[in-house]
Amino acid sequence: MIEFAALFHDLDVLTKTNERLDRLEEYLRKAPPDDAIWVCWFLSGNRIKGAIKTGELRSFLAERANLPVWLIEECHDRVGDLAETISLLVASEAKDSSQSLNDTIRSCLLPLRAMGTEERKASFWKTWDLLTSVEMLPFHKLLTGGFRMGVSKGNLCKALSRVAEVKPAIIAQRIAGNWTCDDLSMQDILDPGNEEENKGLPFPFCLAAPLQAKVETLGEVGDWQVEWKWDGIRAQLLTTTGGGGMLWSRGEESIGESFPELLECLPHLPPGLCLDGEILAWGRDGVRSFSRLQKRLGRKNPGPGIQKKEPVCFQAYDLLRLEGEDLRYSPMAERRERLENLMQKLPDHLPIGISPTVEESTWAKFADRRLESRKRGVEGFMLKKKDSNYESGRVKGAWYKWKVDPFLADMVVVSAQLGHGKRANLYTDYSLAVWNDSGELVTVAKAYSGLSNEEIKKVDLFIRKNITGKFGPVRSVRPELVFEIAFEGAQGSGRHKSGVALRFPRIHRWRQDKKIEEADHLSTIRGFAGMNEQENQGDGPLTDSSGNLLLF
Amino acid sequence: MKNEVLELRREGLYCPAGDFYIDPRGNVARAVITHAHSDHGRPGHRSYLCSDSCKSLLKIRIGKDSHVESLAFGKRTKIGDAWVSFHPAGHILGSAQIRVEVRGRVWVVSGDYKPQADQTCEPFELVQCDGFVSECTFGLPVYRWLPETEIHQQINQWWAENSGENRPSLLFSYSLGKAQRVLAGLNKEIGPIFVHSAVYPFLEYYAQAGIKLPQVTKIERGKDYAFEDSMIIAPPAVEDSTWTRNFRSARKGFASGWMAVRGARRRRNLDRGFILSDHADWNGLIEVIKGTGAEEIQVTHGNGDALTRYLREQGINCSVLAGASMRGEEEA
Repeated sequence: MIEFAALFHDLDVLTKTNERLDRLEEYLRKAPPDDAIWVCWFLSGNRIKGAIKTGELRSFLAERANLPVWLIEECHDRVGDLAETISLLVASEAKDSSQSLNDTIRSCLLPLRAMGTEERKASFWKTWDLLTSVEMLPFHKLLTGGFRMGVSKGNLCKALSRVAEVKPAIIAQRIAGNWTCDDLSMQDILDPGNEEENKGLPFPFCLAAPLQAKVETLGEVGDWQVEWKWDGIRAQLLTTTGGGGMLWSRGEESIGESFPELLECLPHLPPGLCLDGEILAWGRDGVRSFSRLQKRLGRKNPGPGIQKKEPVCFQAYDLLRLEGEDLRYSPMAERRERLENLMQKLPDHLPIGISPTVEESTWAKFADRRLESRKRGVEGFMLKKKDSNYESGRVKGAWYKWKVDPFLADMVVVSAQLGHGKRANLYTDYSLAVWNDSGELVTVAKAYSGLSNEEIKKVDLFIRKNITGKFGPVRSVRPELVFEIAFEGAQGSGRHKSGVALRFPRIHRWRQDKKIEEADHLSTIRGFAGMNEQENQGDGPLTDSSGNLLLF
Repeated sequence: MKNEVLELRREGLYCPAGDFYIDPRGNVARAVITHAHSDHGRPGHRSYLCSDSCKSLLKIRIGKDSHVESLAFGKRTKIGDAWVSFHPAGHILGSAQIRVEVRGRVWVVSGDYKPQADQTCEPFELVQCDGFVSECTFGLPVYRWLPETEIHQQINQWWAENSGENRPSLLFSYSLGKAQRVLAGLNKEIGPIFVHSAVYPFLEYYAQAGIKLPQVTKIERGKDYAFEDSMIIAPPAVEDSTWTRNFRSARKGFASGWMAVRGARRRRNLDRGFILSDHADWNGLIEVIKGTGAEEIQVTHGNGDALTRYLREQGINCSVLAGASMRGEEEA
């Protein structure tokens, strides 16, 4: 495991992407295949689940380090990472590394899942005797699943593609989806030939770039296909032969188990198909908010009750494969036409629809229509070049997202928490409040990002000097800092005293010019969300006048 | 805190029997100083008392004309009704714990200290007392130091690797104490050694105290130097300044106890962090506190809550010195 520990250390220390890529490539070339496959598996975003619960791990650690559990928690707060905390608290006596990565995972990690507490404890004691000090952190990173090493899956594919001399996109397909180190080997990944890849795997998703220039710079309106930008989960729905198939998320996770009603559509679809689209919460009135969809997320095999209460649909917007033929290199316009033809042939009762196109003659008219976005429950427009291929990843010039501007409100920092990782030991996680009718500050959001490093340092210093109370890891702070917060929407929430929860709140800027009295009022936020009663009345169902949105 | 020996006042710890303060702020008549760091030895007082080897260093901080008297380690002097003596704290050259005895009751104020070995200062001395005011900058068990020889090896190895690539090694370390401790461990065979002008003035007093340091060159404005395979020691305050532009190709490191936590290093965009501290680590704090035999412990300098609770659970009468600064949290 020592080579892996060295890789981990180097990737942690190297700051330039290219140096990191070189280092990873070097490892993949030299490492025994049985070890390298694990590195591919972890860097693909997989983690070993259910090896141990955090609480149990902390209690083992407390016993081993001969410290009370509360002190372990204090340390965890300071360090910001449990794996690192363990590596700092468990004193390693081992001088030499004795096991390969593969052996360590198979003997010290995987068996934990089937063990009872006592047996698991004995196993940890053995592991802690076995690991050298440099192996401590990487091992516990694998255990706790916080294993990122700053290498994206894309970069892993690049490194592998250099070793295999195969295109990164092919590698990406080979390591997409659910696989284990028992059913995929380095030989499979690095296979030189075999362009005929398994049809059940998703294609790398084509991602839209944010539209930063003026929309007019895109040229002729007629060259672009315009759709609403849906607020759901991006997914590819695939069929193989014999009524089988898969539903893949953009993170290339197989998510069919969470949406059985979509898998039930598969037998009605032609074989060798791949649709790109969006899973949406969809009621009788059309699209529902993302918060409704969240009730279905991460819930595997949902019962009929929740399926009925929180129905979903798959809104298709691209056709990537039909009867085994790869269409990604046909122009968007042609793919669209074939998609429309296909969708017309599908039975009406299926929860599969097509994302309608929006037609206008000028960009100015589109700009006007874009203002409907909030009422429609969409995030703006998607602009797709009619002659573009279906690209892998974020390729400029093909797809743009032309989002509506976020809501903005001035809020007061009322409490803070230490950050994690790079921000460990800095107060970077803030709770933000606005005024309610009784003149109290009520929390409506938490925000982690948006300040410059300079600002973070200043805010951190302010917080340390103005702590007024301690609630576990949370420090209440004398209200003084005012931040302008951008967010995408607001929903009613029972969790917060304010009754409101914000979507994607982030710090837009620090309003050093504002006093807390000038911060916004809760009713303003509720107004943004369309939550004030008066505003709720009279709003009819949000459907397209052409009837396109009615799928059921 | 208020007892028969010491009480906490706005300016700092005060001994009514001797009418003096220890490491005070503001402007007082008699200041007894633990060591020459600027958050302990501040300018503006009418008279100072410190250890012999602290005196010259302190004068650099507070001005040559200040009235400073000094005392050899272990020698007792009577101030008013209080007996005062200095005992090595092992923090930096001349750093002292201050023992104050009033009518048979003994309190020791630790200042900053470390029981670990350090060839650049007098070794820490454990002093028996009734009450002990302890620093607790690194008051969590995640802070554990390796012997300094291992850290010196790490630094030399890093320097040698960088030299091999023709890159200077820019190592940030506090000007007084840490810089000298780093210098003492450098292998001068690897290349030339340069120091920032903030580090330089202290060196002659280290030499006077008989501490062996390698030959260094002070970097002066407007002069040209060949830095390729060199080691450059500079205070962390210049990290983001234009001064470091002279060393674009340099690898950057920082020698500090804070480097024990990865996030602290990564946040600074450093190539390396060396865990070298002039404070006691967790085990050091516990051993010393228990070793003093004191029946009452007050902790200061740092977030003392965890250490206090831990000691209390072991039946030790410990509390956080009320009004103490939160310096530890501000990454001193």
